Amino acid sequence: METPELLPGTLDMLVLKTLTRGANHGYGIAQHIRRVSNDALRIGEGSLYPALQRLLLNEWVTAEWATTETNRKARFYRLTPAGRKQLAAEVKSFNFMIAAIGEVMESA
Amino acid sequence: MKLWNRARRWSRRRAAESELAEEVRLHREMLEEQFVAAGMPREEARTAAAREFGNTTVFVEQSRDQWNVQWLSGALKDLQFAWRLARRQPLLSAAAILTIAFGVGANTAIVSVLETVLLNPVSLRDANRVVVARVRIDKIQFRHVQASAVEFRELQGMTDAFSAVAAEEGHYWTAQVGGEPVRLIGRSVTPDYFRVFGVNPELGRFFTAEDRESVVLSHAYWKAQFGGDRAAIGRSVILDGKAYRIVGVAPADFHFPPSARIWTSLYLTSERFRRGYNMNLWVFARLRNGVSVGRAADRVNRYMGGLDMKAEGYEGFGYGVEVDPISDFVVGDLRRPLWILWTAALVVLLTGCANVAGLLLTRAAGRRREIGIRISIGASRVRIVRQLLVESLLLGALGGLAGLPLAGSAVRLIAKLPLESQWLDLVKLDTRMLVYGFGLALASGLLFGSAPAVQLLRESQAAALVRSRPRWFRDVFVAAEVAGAFALVATTALLLRSLWSVERIRPGFDASNLSTAFVLKPNNDPGFPDRLRAALAASPAVESAALGKPIPFSGAELTSSFGIRNREHSPNEPEWHGEAYMVTPEYLHTMGIPLLRGRNLADSDTATAPTVCLIDAKLARAFFPNEDPIGQEIGMYKEWARIVGIVGTVRGSTLEEGSRPMVYYSLTQTPFFPDIGIVVRSRAPAGGVIREAVRRANASVAVYDIASMDERIAESLGLRRVLAWLLAIFGGISLLLAVVGIYAVVAHVVGERTMEIGIRMALGAKPIRILASFAGQGMRAGVIGLACGFMAACGAQRWIVSMLYRIQPFDAATFVLAGIGVLSLLLLAVWLPARRASRVDPKQALRYE
Repeated sequence: METPELLPGTLDMLVLKTLTRGANHGYGIAQHIRRVSNDALRIGEGSLYPALQRLLLNEWVTAEWATTETNRKARFYRLTPAGRKQLAAEVKSFNFMIAAIGEVMESA
Repeated sequence: MKLWNRARRWSRRRAAESELAEEVRLHREMLEEQFVAAGMPREEARTAAAREFGNTTVFVEQSRDQWNVQWLSGALKDLQFAWRLARRQPLLSAAAILTIAFGVGANTAIVSVLETVLLNPVSLRDANRVVVARVRIDKIQFRHVQASAVEFRELQGMTDAFSAVAAEEGHYWTAQVGGEPVRLIGRSVTPDYFRVFGVNPELGRFFTAEDRESVVLSHAYWKAQFGGDRAAIGRSVILDGKAYRIVGVAPADFHFPPSARIWTSLYLTSERFRRGYNMNLWVFARLRNGVSVGRAADRVNRYMGGLDMKAEGYEGFGYGVEVDPISDFVVGDLRRPLWILWTAALVVLLTGCANVAGLLLTRAAGRRREIGIRISIGASRVRIVRQLLVESLLLGALGGLAGLPLAGSAVRLIAKLPLESQWLDLVKLDTRMLVYGFGLALASGLLFGSAPAVQLLRESQAAALVRSRPRWFRDVFVAAEVAGAFALVATTALLLRSLWSVERIRPGFDASNLSTAFVLKPNNDPGFPDRLRAALAASPAVESAALGKPIPFSGAELTSSFGIRNREHSPNEPEWHGEAYMVTPEYLHTMGIPLLRGRNLADSDTATAPTVCLIDAKLARAFFPNEDPIGQEIGMYKEWARIVGIVGTVRGSTLEEGSRPMVYYSLTQTPFFPDIGIVVRSRAPAGGVIREAVRRANASVAVYDIASMDERIAESLGLRRVLAWLLAIFGGISLLLAVVGIYAVVAHVVGERTMEIGIRMALGAKPIRILASFAGQGMRAGVIGLACGFMAACGAQRWIVSMLYRIQPFDAATFVLAGIGVLSLLLLAVWLPARRASRVDPKQALRYE
């Protein structure tokens, strides 16, 4: 099963974006990204957890243990105001980049 | 903020790790359940989840990286690695550690001395605010001499420059301690003395203007005599038979001067206020806030310039008052030698570093493959450089740890050096010095560690796994070592040659088998000197004995201007200046000074008889070249005295310099001074004999400062000897380091190129050519180093000019000899490995790899 490689630096943005819908746990985040992208983006757990640690460290998200709807314990991540600001910044530069790449690709 | 977060997280990393593990476990369970819900059997679902999840160890590690303070745990690992490496090559490590230990030890010890006597004299608080005011009289080549009460009062008036001014006068008293007469050294001081130095009393108070016969005890004396009893205040001590009331105790850290046990109040009587008379006061002052030493000196100069010297009778004398920082007063002529020694110790440390760097380069060459592999499997350059630096820092730190105890023992040795400076007793290693030493060790580690690191980086950029050989890099270190070593060796050679010339000088009397001591004349006992003479003469151990004031090489010459009866002093001539000795008739015989003409002093030259004197040959030659001096009259310490004899010239203060013209008076006719010196010629040291004789003459008299004449002369040579020998040690060590360094480099190159040598030999190269080529390569760096060292030595000359004796600073013979010596050692060092190269067996060598 081939999964396209994520553009470097976009994983943080995807995770932050997912969390704008509300607090979620690691499994939930991975599932959401996969579902929304129609299975195109599969986030390897191997990169998800380091990314979450990074976000925690920068205080863009907070984490707390809670129970899921299926009555399991899980660690829920929640977006902080700083995280929201970071997301806006990343989206902006991402759009700029995509537009630029588009220009280049079409000009040829 | 981010760093703080990391640190916090790092501190609770165990909890964080188990939290992460739990999170991952739950995640996998959810995946598993998803697969089960999709209809997979439980077992299969578990493996599928595991597969989907991938290698948990790897990403747990990656997650951990996010919160680890990475460099810290990395550095710990590097440190472990470095430790293992250091233990695997014990010889190399020991060489590096010892080199650093010695360099750091010597440096720290010398800086401790510098600190005590120069930078922070005798731990005076804000010593840079305290100045000393000393008189100069150009006409008679007087500089830095004591002032009279007049200058003290004048400085006191300059309240715009000085906030406090004080004068002190050296004093010693005889006190009775435990029934024994003991000489107490101290100072008589004016009321503001302690305020000048900014100290507060430990107990009681310091002096006021009303104090007479009051005494302040030093902390040590208070502890020793009163057991630290606070009730000592108000009690009395008996000094010279007079009661002095104890008003205060000085704090424990006040040691000015170090020898002082007590301070008494000094009252300046009105007859002392006469310029040029009673010049026996040291004047100290505290600068007012915002006034620099230079400005204070200007202020004093302006005042002195405005005085009417003609009216005072000092016109054309070049009479002035100089203001200098107190450190000038404390360090005296030690300043230059100390800086020289410090520089030399730094040179040793630097050559040591260069040597260790060379060793590490050699080791790094052997590790090229290891590092190449590490880089090719993804180690970053930063990581490798860090690794190398940690390795050398570890060596530096170990060297520092070994060097600091070394510095401790060196400081204890310094206090025992035969130098006159009493301040050296105060030198100790304090925390700041330890920090300096350890910092120096770490800096050395960085310094020699950066060499292999830089080289590796350059190489790895070129080709990671290819062997390359940038030899010039190592040559630089060899050259630096040789340069440092040669500069030290040449300087030392000059100083040693000067020392030997000085040691060969005879002082004009027979210094062997002479014992000397001093006593304080008791009050109300005019017969004491005669009884003492008799007691000494009666002692069977004594061959001959005499009394005199002063005694040669006791550091207290009596110098004075003099006049000659019926002779006018012409205005352009420098003032006639000489030295006086006041001696008993046995003095010449005891000292072994020849009587050249006329008669000796005699017992018949009593206080009531006409005053007579002897002059030395130098005075006779200089002032009576064409006439007979005998019968002429000289006025110096007394009214006109008739010259009755001429004696041989002696040197009385230093061996290097000829003394001023000398005049010998009869002690009986000149009983001016409270202390008398004793000279005894005997086979065995006569300290005990002198004590016994003094006790028989008067049991209440204290004997002090017992020393043989040889010891006194050695002390006058102390600085010269200490400097020359310490430099010789430093020079020897750095030379040894240089030789070892150049040997190691050539040997290494030979080892590396064995195969090439084999090929060349197989193709018919002559062994002598192989030898020449390797030796030549080694010597190239050596010769460049020698040239640099020559220039450095020339630059250092001006520092030691004052220490040289009968030798020119750029003494060609010395330089050439030192050059040949260093060069031949270097030749030996390159010849040994080069010869090995020339004896390579081609068959063996080609099988080598």
